[in-house]
Amino acid sequence: MRQRLDLLRKAKAPDRSDSCIDLARRVRELRRVLGASHLQVAPSAPSATVAAASGTRVRRRLGGRPSREPLPALGVVLLNRLAYGPRPGDLEAFASLGGDDAARWQRWVEAQLHPATLADDDCDRRLAAAGFTTLGKSQAQLWQEHHRGNPEWWVRVQPLLEVERATFLRAVYSQRQLAEVLVEFWHDHFNIYAWDYIAAPTWAAFHRDAIRGHLLGNFRAMLGAVAKSPAMLVYLDNWSNHVAGPNENYARELFELHTLGRPGYLGVRRQAEVPRDALGRPVGYVDDDVYEATRCLTGWTFDEETGAMAFPPDWHDRFQKWVLGRYFPPNRGAAAEGEEVLDLLAFHPATARHIAWRLCRRLVADDPPQPLVEAAAAEFLAAARESDQLARVVRVIALSPYLYGCWGLKVKRPFEAAVSALRASGVELGFAADDETTDAFLWLFEATGHARFAWHPPDGYPDRQEAWLGTGSMVALWRLLNWLVSATDATDRPLLQAVPAGVPPTSAALADWWIQRIFARSMDADFRREIVAFLAQGRGEHIPLPVTTDEATEQRLRAMVGVLLMSPQFLWR
Amino acid sequence: MKSTRRQFVVGCSAAVAAMAGTRLSMAAFATEASAGDALVVVFLRGGMDGLSLLAPMDGPDRAHYVAARPTLALPAAGSQALLPLAPPFGLSPAAAELYPLYQDGRVAFVLACGLNHDTRSHFDAQEFMELGTPGVRSTATGWLTRHLKSTTPAGGPVLIPTLAVGGSQPASLRGDWGTVAMTSPDHFNLDTGPWRWRDAQRATLRRLCSGGGAAVFTAGNRALDAVDIVEAMLGEPGPPANGVQYPETEMGRQFRLIASLIKQDLGLRVATVDVGGWDTHVAQAWAPAEGWFPTLLGELSASLAALYQDLDGSQADALSRRLTVVVLSEFGRRVRENADRGTDHGHGNVMLLLGGNVVGGVHGRWPGLAPEQLYDGADLAITTDYRQVLAEVLVRRLGNPHLSEVFPGLVAYAPLGVVRGTDLPVD
Repeated sequence: MRQRLDLLRKAKAPDRSDSCIDLARRVRELRRVLGASHLQVAPSAPSATVAAASGTRVRRRLGGRPSREPLPALGVVLLNRLAYGPRPGDLEAFASLGGDDAARWQRWVEAQLHPATLADDDCDRRLAAAGFTTLGKSQAQLWQEHHRGNPEWWVRVQPLLEVERATFLRAVYSQRQLAEVLVEFWHDHFNIYAWDYIAAPTWAAFHRDAIRGHLLGNFRAMLGAVAKSPAMLVYLDNWSNHVAGPNENYARELFELHTLGRPGYLGVRRQAEVPRDALGRPVGYVDDDVYEATRCLTGWTFDEETGAMAFPPDWHDRFQKWVLGRYFPPNRGAAAEGEEVLDLLAFHPATARHIAWRLCRRLVADDPPQPLVEAAAAEFLAAARESDQLARVVRVIALSPYLYGCWGLKVKRPFEAAVSALRASGVELGFAADDETTDAFLWLFEATGHARFAWHPPDGYPDRQEAWLGTGSMVALWRLLNWLVSATDATDRPLLQAVPAGVPPTSAALADWWIQRIFARSMDADFRREIVAFLAQGRGEHIPLPVTTDEATEQRLRAMVGVLLMSPQFLWR
Repeated sequence: MKSTRRQFVVGCSAAVAAMAGTRLSMAAFATEASAGDALVVVFLRGGMDGLSLLAPMDGPDRAHYVAARPTLALPAAGSQALLPLAPPFGLSPAAAELYPLYQDGRVAFVLACGLNHDTRSHFDAQEFMELGTPGVRSTATGWLTRHLKSTTPAGGPVLIPTLAVGGSQPASLRGDWGTVAMTSPDHFNLDTGPWRWRDAQRATLRRLCSGGGAAVFTAGNRALDAVDIVEAMLGEPGPPANGVQYPETEMGRQFRLIASLIKQDLGLRVATVDVGGWDTHVAQAWAPAEGWFPTLLGELSASLAALYQDLDGSQADALSRRLTVVVLSEFGRRVRENADRGTDHGHGNVMLLLGGNVVGGVHGRWPGLAPEQLYDGADLAITTDYRQVLAEVLVRRLGNPHLSEVFPGLVAYAPLGVVRGTDLPVD
């Protein structure tokens, strides 16, 4: 109980303007979830507000409907924010982790932060069954077998196609859910449009070595791996950055998107005008820093024969430079100067804030609470040279009361919605490269605007709800979710096993079973009545339905599951 | 109190879903006069080869053109010759569907237009153009969004003020959350589920989305409204007017949808159409009217002509008088063809305008095709900033003089006379 109280106190933000933290509501919701009788109101909470909030007006209603969902059980929130939604059995497994929520929370996060300790046999078996052949190839191998000699287009894109499918497969079936969530995050952070000449054939290596290899590791190491990948070198043009014709594309995005971020950009000013922090470092960067870094990175390219990094000496601008307050003496070469630029950027406090803010925006809220961003940024800096730096930062966020309390301040993006629908419904997709049902799924998915690795601009897929709640994206997502419930495999077997054994085939019982299955929580009573009525179609809700003998009724059950997947409640995150 | 059609539609879309199976019928509701044209912006993604749309038929540039394009140059004589425009230019025979409209003075070409920014990247050029801020890609809103925000439509609430078809919502509408966006009207429905229960599903989903202040509810409602309306518009569309036939393709249906929305007077202010497939590095054409590029150009021309004719009429209030279509692309292509019967990324391009108040003809200054006249020694130069053409449409056709808001950084308003209208004092 002490931990719960601590949690509650921490949830009380000092900043009242913080949209996450309406203290009265949090008290009310935590009281309900954690057991009201044991909870005391935090000492400094204005008791009148709490009393008013927990009185007769249980939920603020707008137009007769709750404006926000009540806070679900902790396991549901964690599995929807740090994972792609619960699969059947996940909540039971979560419950078995400890005697109270605080212990379970801690253990679940620790296990997820050490993915190698989580057995993943089912996922491994599915990956093997899908018959992928390129995922294990080294970059040198990919280069020779999928790029050199100008192969057919399908040979060139095969590694990308397999990564695309494996990404869905792992997100749906892997036990290492937090790792998969972070894969999505880092691909956005280091966005590359991959359906391209060099990115596609090398994608298996970029995805595996540059992204997956560093998810819970060290940011500087990840930054270096990305900077040396042919995919990024081509995407942001540094491969052609030459002393005789400098190209600043990569250098600019390196500052603005990969490290210091837009808040760290002080615009068109002279370097000497930039204020210094207590350690004498410039607090941000100006255009001159971008130009100087561009010069440092001239001749930072790859060998067309092998795809390996190359530093042709005569491509490099050999004279002295000045980046972020650091003097670069002449005649040192692209390799040394590039690494030093990456060091300067990776260890800069503005980078810590930027990465922390982006992570919090992904995991917690579109406008994340500032105290949490600061705590995560402090951890990022303190652990800057540790091999588990990023795991430490994620731990700060994952165990924060904000992560729980800010429920509903994100909506699922189409990828999360599609993956969590597969997880919740039990619809099974093979994701093999030649599977026609998977092709149909991906074709419908593409229309949502969230096709994997296909965002053209370097800033990654948008991570605010407005971007995904437009009519086009919503309708496309609905089409996909509604398709899932009636899709069949190549042998015409339904993907959705519609009627669970042991559940009475009445409208009420079937509706309740599926509501629990899809949401892992209850539904607003009015909404539930709609679902039951849909299934009953005018009959009594306790009258058995001929779900196994009548095709129309069987279809109706599927259609009901479709409605649950398309409902607003399914999009909460 | 007499309901206007728009008020009716705004108020009843929930009821529409409840009356499953019935279609919107608006015959009983009065039409409300709308101020300002419906603007249709057609973006040709990939860099349309303007020199295969409009090319010199004679004069010194004819020789430069033929020399640079031994296999792709459009002939000046013969059965597949260029169709004469204002000398010395001619129109590709693949665009023949537009020719009668050109002769009627409804089609304008603006020569050597484009984005005055040194880039040959599709991504940069498209984004800079659509945001309306060359060189700045952090702009939070597109130029069309800023146009919509800086003016108020006459006639109160509108159901579908902005429609985007052919792709995801374009950058020109970035930040506009009222846009109805669809890849294609063919797929703008929920009909992927069990067919027997489609109407019941939608009615239930509507009730699950109703009420509630959270964005997921309002977004769901908005999407269902859009589905209802699009279905009602397309479900049983009357035949197009004037015996018009749209191409039986996705593109044809996209343009037909726009015409339907304009005819239904749902307050459509801006529609965008994305047409891809113009990045013709390889095997661009085998003959003036054969091959990938001519086929695509033919389909586009037929769709544009059908849109105009579908809305045309002899009366003064014919809808075509309130239609302005602008066709543009992120850049033109290299003057010299490559070794694969294709063309690579270039610079200046032609813009096409179509509408009842377009000043038909060929506008703008031609910079010439002599090697020393080319941009970077290789591409058609730009003599008109594409924003000048759009600014003229904004001021003269859409009554929006707030150019500094829509196009910050555009130095001065300098109309070329491509459309008719009044030059309001701009700010």
